[in-house]
Amino acid sequence: MNGTSDVDRIETYDDEGGLDARKAARLLAQTQRQTQRELAFRSPWLSLLAAAAALVAFGSVWLSVRGQHPYKYPTVVGLLGLYAVVAIRIGSMLYAHRRARAGISGRSVRQTRWEGAALAVALVAVYVIMGALANAGASDGVVYGVYVVTATMLVLGTFGAARSAVREDKRDLGISIAVLLVAAGSAFAGPRGVWLSNGIGLCVVLLGDSATQAWLLRAPRSDA
Amino acid sequence: MTVDALDPLIHVPARLQIMATLAALPDGDVLSFTRLQKMIGLTPGNLITHLRKLEDVDYLTSEKTGSGPASRTSVALTNRGRAALDEYTQTLRALLNGL
Repeated sequence: MNGTSDVDRIETYDDEGGLDARKAARLLAQTQRQTQRELAFRSPWLSLLAAAAALVAFGSVWLSVRGQHPYKYPTVVGLLGLYAVVAIRIGSMLYAHRRARAGISGRSVRQTRWEGAALAVALVAVYVIMGALANAGASDGVVYGVYVVTATMLVLGTFGAARSAVREDKRDLGISIAVLLVAAGSAFAGPRGVWLSNGIGLCVVLLGDSATQAWLLRAPRSDA
Repeated sequence: MTVDALDPLIHVPARLQIMATLAALPDGDVLSFTRLQKMIGLTPGNLITHLRKLEDVDYLTSEKTGSGPASRTSVALTNRGRAALDEYTQTLRALLNGL
Protein backbone atom coordinates (compact mmCIF):
# COMPACT_ATOMS: atom_id res chain seq x y z
CA MET A 1 0.00 0.00 0.00
CA ASN A 2 2.69 2.43 0.92
CA GLY A 3 5.17 1.57 -1.74
CA THR A 4 7.95 1.17 0.79
CA SER A 5 10.99 -0.54 -0.67
CA ASP A 6 13.82 -2.32 1.05
CA VAL A 7 15.91 0.77 0.52
CA ASP A 8 13.73 2.62 2.99
CA ARG A 9 13.63 -0.05 5.66
CA ILE A 10 14.85 1.48 8.88
CA GLU A 11 18.25 0.25 9.89
CA THR A 12 18.72 -1.07 13.39
CA TYR A 13 21.12 0.54 15.82
CA ASP A 14 22.27 -0.33 19.30
CA ASP A 15 20.27 1.45 21.93
CA GLU A 16 23.07 3.43 23.48
CA GLY A 17 26.07 4.90 21.74
CA GLY A 18 27.31 4.31 18.23
CA LEU A 19 25.11 7.02 16.77
CA ASP A 20 27.14 9.67 15.04
CA ALA A 21 25.62 12.71 13.33
CA ARG A 22 25.34 11.06 9.92
CA LYS A 23 23.68 7.94 11.30
CA ALA A 24 21.30 10.07 13.34
CA ALA A 25 20.35 12.15 10.30
CA ARG A 26 19.79 9.01 8.24
CA LEU A 27 17.67 7.40 10.95
CA LEU A 28 15.64 10.59 11.39
CA ALA A 29 14.97 10.92 7.66
CA GLN A 30 14.09 7.24 7.28
CA THR A 31 11.72 7.32 10.24
CA GLN A 32 9.99 10.48 8.97
CA ARG A 33 9.59 9.03 5.49
CA GLN A 34 8.34 5.66 6.69
CA THR A 35 5.91 7.26 9.14
CA GLN A 36 4.48 9.53 6.46
CA ARG A 37 3.92 6.54 4.21
CA GLU A 38 2.33 4.42 6.92
CA LEU A 39 -0.04 7.19 7.99
CA ALA A 40 -1.01 8.14 4.45
CA PHE A 41 -4.07 6.37 3.14
CA ARG A 42 -3.43 7.36 -0.44
CA SER A 43 -1.27 5.49 -2.86
CA PRO A 44 -0.53 5.60 -6.60
CA TRP A 45 -2.39 2.29 -6.94
CA LEU A 46 -5.51 3.60 -5.23
CA SER A 47 -5.51 6.65 -7.50
CA LEU A 48 -5.02 4.41 -10.52
CA LEU A 49 -7.98 2.31 -9.39
CA ALA A 50 -10.01 5.47 -8.89
CA ALA A 51 -9.15 6.66 -12.41
CA ALA A 52 -10.36 3.37 -13.89
CA ALA A 53 -13.45 3.47 -11.66
CA ALA A 54 -14.35 6.98 -12.85
CA LEU A 55 -14.07 5.97 -16.48
CA VAL A 56 -16.12 2.78 -16.03
CA ALA A 57 -18.77 4.45 -13.82
CA PHE A 58 -19.43 7.46 -16.04
CA GLY A 59 -18.86 5.41 -19.19
CA SER A 60 -21.56 2.88 -18.25
CA VAL A 61 -24.09 5.69 -17.85
CA TRP A 62 -22.98 7.34 -21.09
CA LEU A 63 -23.46 4.04 -22.93
CA SER A 64 -26.99 3.85 -21.57
CA VAL A 65 -27.99 7.37 -22.66
CA ARG A 66 -26.03 8.02 -25.85
CA GLY A 67 -28.82 6.65 -28.08
CA GLN A 68 -31.64 8.55 -26.39
CA HIS A 69 -33.27 11.20 -28.62
CA PRO A 70 -34.70 13.06 -26.81
CA TYR A 71 -32.76 12.50 -23.62
CA LYS A 72 -34.77 10.83 -20.88
CA TYR A 73 -32.55 9.53 -18.04
CA PRO A 74 -29.88 6.86 -17.43
CA THR A 75 -31.21 3.30 -17.61
CA VAL A 76 -31.27 1.00 -14.59
CA VAL A 77 -28.34 -1.01 -16.00
CA GLY A 78 -26.30 2.16 -16.50
CA LEU A 79 -27.06 3.38 -12.98
CA LEU A 80 -26.27 -0.05 -11.50
CA GLY A 81 -22.87 0.11 -13.16
CA LEU A 82 -22.32 3.60 -11.76
CA TYR A 83 -23.41 2.72 -8.22
CA ALA A 84 -21.45 -0.56 -8.18
CA VAL A 85 -18.23 1.20 -9.15
CA VAL A 86 -18.86 4.06 -6.69
CA ALA A 87 -19.54 1.52 -3.91
CA ILE A 88 -16.29 -0.36 -4.67
CA ARG A 89 -14.40 2.93 -4.73
CA ILE A 90 -15.84 4.09 -1.40
CA GLY A 91 -15.17 0.66 0.13
CA SER A 92 -11.52 0.63 -0.98
CA MET A 93 -11.02 4.17 0.31
CA LEU A 94 -12.55 3.36 3.70
CA TYR A 95 -10.42 0.24 4.00
CA ALA A 96 -7.22 2.13 3.19
CA HIS A 97 -8.20 4.98 5.52
CA ARG A 98 -8.97 2.68 8.44
CA ARG A 99 -5.75 0.75 7.96
CA ALA A 100 -3.62 3.87 7.83
CA ARG A 101 -5.35 5.60 10.75
CA ALA A 102 -5.51 2.56 13.06
CA GLY A 103 -4.53 3.55 16.59
CA ILE A 104 -4.86 7.27 15.95
CA SER A 105 -7.46 9.30 17.78
CA GLY A 106 -7.97 12.93 18.63
CA ARG A 107 -8.79 16.16 16.87
CA SER A 108 -8.19 15.15 13.24
CA VAL A 109 -10.39 12.07 13.61
CA ARG A 110 -13.26 14.17 14.99
CA GLN A 111 -12.74 16.73 12.22
CA THR A 112 -12.94 14.00 9.56
CA ARG A 113 -16.26 12.75 10.98
CA TRP A 114 -17.79 16.23 10.91
CA GLU A 115 -16.47 16.80 7.40
CA GLY A 116 -18.03 13.52 6.28
CA ALA A 117 -21.37 14.53 7.78
CA ALA A 118 -21.26 17.92 6.03
CA LEU A 119 -20.41 16.27 2.70
CA ALA A 120 -23.28 13.80 3.08
CA VAL A 121 -25.74 16.64 3.72
CA ALA A 122 -24.44 18.58 0.70
CA LEU A 123 -24.86 15.51 -1.56
CA VAL A 124 -28.38 14.88 -0.26
CA ALA A 125 -29.16 18.55 -0.99
CA VAL A 126 -28.07 18.03 -4.62
CA TYR A 127 -30.69 15.29 -5.03
CA VAL A 128 -33.38 17.28 -3.18
CA ILE A 129 -32.83 20.17 -5.60
CA MET A 130 -32.95 17.68 -8.48
CA GLY A 131 -36.44 16.74 -7.31
CA ALA A 132 -37.38 20.40 -7.06
CA LEU A 133 -36.15 21.06 -10.60
CA ALA A 134 -38.15 18.11 -11.97
CA ASN A 135 -41.18 19.33 -10.05
CA ALA A 136 -40.76 22.82 -11.52
CA GLY A 137 -40.89 21.38 -15.04
CA ALA A 138 -37.23 21.52 -16.06
CA SER A 139 -36.38 19.24 -18.98
CA ASP A 140 -35.12 15.69 -18.38
CA GLY A 141 -31.85 16.60 -20.09
CA VAL A 142 -31.18 19.32 -17.53
CA VAL A 143 -32.46 17.50 -14.43
CA TYR A 144 -31.18 13.95 -15.02
CA GLY A 145 -28.22 14.89 -17.17
CA VAL A 146 -26.35 18.16 -16.88
CA TYR A 147 -27.53 19.20 -13.40
CA VAL A 148 -27.12 15.97 -11.45
CA VAL A 149 -23.59 15.22 -12.69
CA THR A 150 -22.30 18.78 -12.59
CA ALA A 151 -23.76 19.59 -9.17
CA THR A 152 -22.40 16.36 -7.65
CA MET A 153 -18.93 17.02 -9.05
CA LEU A 154 -19.02 20.65 -7.92
CA VAL A 155 -19.93 19.61 -4.37
CA LEU A 156 -17.12 17.02 -4.29
CA GLY A 157 -14.60 19.42 -5.82
CA THR A 158 -15.51 22.32 -3.53
CA PHE A 159 -15.43 20.06 -0.49
CA GLY A 160 -11.99 18.76 -1.47
CA ALA A 161 -10.69 22.25 -2.21
CA ALA A 162 -11.89 23.69 1.11
CA ARG A 163 -10.51 20.71 3.05
CA SER A 164 -7.10 20.84 1.39
CA ALA A 165 -6.91 24.64 1.69
CA VAL A 166 -7.42 24.40 5.46
CA ARG A 167 -4.67 21.74 5.65
CA GLU A 168 -2.43 23.72 3.27
CA ASP A 169 -2.18 20.64 1.06
CA LYS A 170 -1.28 22.12 -2.32
CA ARG A 171 -1.40 18.83 -4.23
CA ASP A 172 -4.93 17.98 -3.09
CA LEU A 173 -5.97 21.57 -3.71
CA GLY A 174 -4.72 21.30 -7.28
CA ILE A 175 -6.63 18.04 -7.82
CA SER A 176 -9.83 19.54 -6.40
CA ILE A 177 -9.55 22.62 -8.60
CA ALA A 178 -8.97 20.36 -11.62
CA VAL A 179 -12.15 18.43 -10.71
CA LEU A 180 -14.07 21.72 -10.50
CA LEU A 181 -12.79 22.77 -13.92
CA VAL A 182 -13.69 19.38 -15.43
CA ALA A 183 -17.20 19.63 -13.96
CA ALA A 184 -17.78 23.19 -15.14
CA GLY A 185 -16.36 22.54 -18.61
CA SER A 186 -18.30 19.28 -19.03
CA ALA A 187 -21.59 21.07 -18.42
CA PHE A 188 -21.25 22.44 -21.97
CA ALA A 189 -21.20 18.91 -23.41
CA GLY A 190 -24.96 18.51 -23.04
CA PRO A 191 -27.01 15.88 -21.21
CA ARG A 192 -25.42 12.89 -22.98
CA GLY A 193 -21.87 14.17 -23.39
CA VAL A 194 -21.65 15.40 -19.79
CA TRP A 195 -21.28 11.82 -18.56
CA LEU A 196 -18.47 10.92 -20.96
CA SER A 197 -16.74 14.25 -20.59
CA ASN A 198 -16.69 13.99 -16.77
CA GLY A 199 -15.56 10.37 -16.95
CA ILE A 200 -12.62 11.15 -19.21
CA GLY A 201 -11.74 14.38 -17.39
CA LEU A 202 -11.81 12.76 -13.96
CA CYS A 203 -9.82 9.79 -15.24
CA VAL A 204 -7.10 12.11 -16.60
CA VAL A 205 -6.94 14.09 -13.32
CA LEU A 206 -6.65 10.92 -11.25
CA LEU A 207 -4.03 9.42 -13.57
CA GLY A 208 -2.03 12.62 -13.11
CA ASP A 209 -2.42 12.30 -9.35
CA SER A 210 -1.28 8.68 -9.46
CA ALA A 211 1.78 9.58 -11.54
CA THR A 212 2.65 12.48 -9.19
CA GLN A 213 2.40 10.25 -6.12
CA ALA A 214 4.56 7.58 -7.73
CA TRP A 215 7.15 10.19 -8.64
CA LEU A 216 7.17 11.67 -5.14
CA LEU A 217 7.60 8.23 -3.59
CA ARG A 218 10.64 7.62 -5.76
CA ALA A 219 12.14 11.09 -5.47
CA PRO A 220 13.33 11.68 -1.88
CA ARG A 221 16.35 9.50 -1.37
CA SER A 222 18.82 11.86 0.31
CA ASP A 223 19.09 11.39 4.05
CA ALA A 224 20.71 14.53 5.30
CA MET B 1 30.52 21.58 17.53
CA THR B 2 30.33 17.86 18.45
CA VAL B 3 27.53 15.33 18.94
CA ASP B 4 27.57 16.33 22.60
CA ALA B 5 25.62 19.41 21.50
CA LEU B 6 22.68 17.17 20.62
CA ASP B 7 19.96 16.62 23.21
CA PRO B 8 21.07 13.35 24.89
CA LEU B 9 17.49 12.41 25.66
CA ILE B 10 16.64 12.32 21.97
CA HIS B 11 20.02 11.22 20.64
CA VAL B 12 19.33 7.52 21.18
CA PRO B 13 18.02 5.50 18.20
CA ALA B 14 14.82 4.25 19.82
CA ARG B 15 13.89 7.64 21.30
CA LEU B 16 14.75 9.46 18.09
CA GLN B 17 12.39 7.11 16.25
CA ILE B 18 9.66 7.63 18.85
CA MET B 19 9.97 11.42 18.65
CA ALA B 20 10.05 11.48 14.83
CA THR B 21 7.06 9.16 14.58
CA LEU B 22 4.93 11.13 17.04
CA ALA B 23 5.93 14.44 15.41
CA ALA B 24 4.27 13.27 12.18
CA LEU B 25 0.87 13.31 13.87
CA PRO B 26 -1.23 16.46 13.53
CA ASP B 27 -1.42 18.61 16.65
CA GLY B 28 -4.15 17.31 18.96
CA ASP B 29 -3.91 13.68 17.83
CA VAL B 30 -2.67 10.77 19.92
CA LEU B 31 -1.23 7.40 18.88
CA SER B 32 -1.97 4.10 20.59
CA PHE B 33 0.89 2.28 22.27
CA THR B 34 0.21 -0.80 20.12
CA ARG B 35 0.43 1.08 16.83
CA LEU B 36 3.56 2.92 17.91
CA GLN B 37 5.15 -0.37 18.88
CA LYS B 38 4.24 -1.86 15.50
CA MET B 39 5.64 1.15 13.62
CA ILE B 40 8.93 1.25 15.48
CA GLY B 41 9.42 -2.46 16.09
CA LEU B 42 10.47 -2.35 19.74
CA THR B 43 9.46 -4.83 22.42
CA PRO B 44 6.74 -3.55 24.80
CA GLY B 45 9.14 -3.40 27.75
CA ASN B 46 11.78 -1.53 25.78
CA LEU B 47 9.22 0.92 24.43
CA ILE B 48 7.77 1.59 27.89
CA THR B 49 11.25 2.35 29.24
CA HIS B 50 11.96 4.89 26.51
CA LEU B 51 8.51 6.45 26.76
CA ARG B 52 8.95 6.93 30.50
CA LYS B 53 12.26 8.71 29.98
CA LEU B 54 10.66 11.07 27.48
CA GLU B 55 7.61 11.59 29.66
CA ASP B 56 9.78 12.42 32.67
CA VAL B 57 11.18 15.45 30.85
CA ASP B 58 7.74 16.43 29.53
CA TYR B 59 8.54 15.65 25.89
CA LEU B 60 5.45 13.49 25.62
CA THR B 61 2.26 12.69 27.44
CA SER B 62 0.58 9.34 27.84
CA GLU B 63 -3.00 8.65 28.71
CA LYS B 64 -4.59 5.38 29.75
CA THR B 65 -8.27 4.87 29.07
CA GLY B 66 -10.50 1.97 30.06
CA SER B 67 -9.52 -0.86 32.35
CA GLY B 68 -8.58 -4.52 32.14
CA PRO B 69 -8.12 -6.10 28.71
CA ALA B 70 -9.99 -3.19 27.09
CA SER B 71 -7.53 -0.61 28.43
CA ARG B 72 -5.67 1.46 25.90
CA THR B 73 -2.63 3.67 26.32
CA SER B 74 -2.12 6.56 23.93
CA VAL B 75 0.88 8.85 23.58
CA ALA B 76 1.48 12.22 21.97
CA LEU B 77 4.26 14.78 21.79
CA THR B 78 3.94 17.87 23.96
CA ASN B 79 4.75 21.35 22.66
CA ARG B 80 7.99 21.09 24.59
CA GLY B 81 8.73 17.78 22.85
CA ARG B 82 8.08 19.25 19.40
CA ALA B 83 10.33 22.20 20.20
CA ALA B 84 13.07 19.84 21.46
CA LEU B 85 12.90 17.77 18.27
CA ASP B 86 13.05 20.94 16.14
CA GLU B 87 16.12 22.08 18.04
CA TYR B 88 17.68 18.62 17.74
CA THR B 89 17.10 18.67 13.97
CA GLN B 90 18.63 22.13 13.62
CA THR B 91 21.68 21.18 15.67
CA LEU B 92 22.07 18.01 13.62
CA ARG B 93 21.91 20.04 10.40
CA ALA B 94 24.54 22.46 11.73
CA LEU B 95 26.77 19.55 12.71
CA LEU B 96 26.48 17.95 9.26
CA ASN B 97 27.21 21.25 7.55
CA GLY B 98 30.33 21.56 9.66
CA LEU B 99 31.64 18.13 8.70
